[in-house]
Amino acid sequence: MDVTLGIDVGMDQHEPRRVVEVFERFVTANGVSDLVVQRFCLALDEILTNVISYGFEKVPEEPRIRVDFGLGDQVLEVRIEDNGRSFNPLADAPLPDFTLPVDERPIGGLGIHLAKNLVHDISYRRDKKRNCLTLTQPL
Amino acid sequence: MIAAVSGRVDSVNATSFEQELSKAMEGGSSRLVVDCGELSYISSAGLRILLLAVKKTRAQGGGVALCQVQDHVREVLEVSGFTRIMTVRDTVEQAIDSF
Repeated sequence: MDVTLGIDVGMDQHEPRRVVEVFERFVTANGVSDLVVQRFCLALDEILTNVISYGFEKVPEEPRIRVDFGLGDQVLEVRIEDNGRSFNPLADAPLPDFTLPVDERPIGGLGIHLAKNLVHDISYRRDKKRNCLTLTQPL
Repeated sequence: MIAAVSGRVDSVNATSFEQELSKAMEGGSSRLVVDCGELSYISSAGLRILLLAVKKTRAQGGGVALCQVQDHVREVLEVSGFTRIMTVRDTVEQAIDSF
């Protein structure tokens, strides 16, 4: 990666917006297209909001959340790591059912679906009691 | 009833968005037009509020129509399956006429 930036994220509902703003400045300064920026901002927002809201329920460890951005000639990569409970959004998040009539549609559950569908590639691994999620976009 | 939303709607300000929409619906109208011309960003926290508004207005025989939706927001609506449950039109007039 030619340019990198890392941020520690606190356990506060305002943090996703702060991280997204830092990310926006980082990628816009380095010439990434608006469409990719907007998709990644949303994915980052949804994933972090999820981790902060639910990732540390009944977890005794001190929460640690870290986001690393990397930008190369032909690839944008965002890594999100946390030491919360094991959660693989690619496998553990329920798929929304869009065939349900409006009055039966659940109010939540769209965030992870959006992240998965707006980013070119997402991979997950559980490593040393940490969730490691990597979002990748060829440029 | 016509409401306009601008800027970003995410988990930080979704509650005030909900309050504003509720206020717009207080008059008793079950037909809600939301002008999204100045809406640059919406996350699932904002979609949740729109879904609540659709449920509420539909229960009263009305619905929600959005207009002037920017491309990125439109993509989010499509990926979320929201274009199936609410009308999206180019202009305010078209949104009003959709009811």
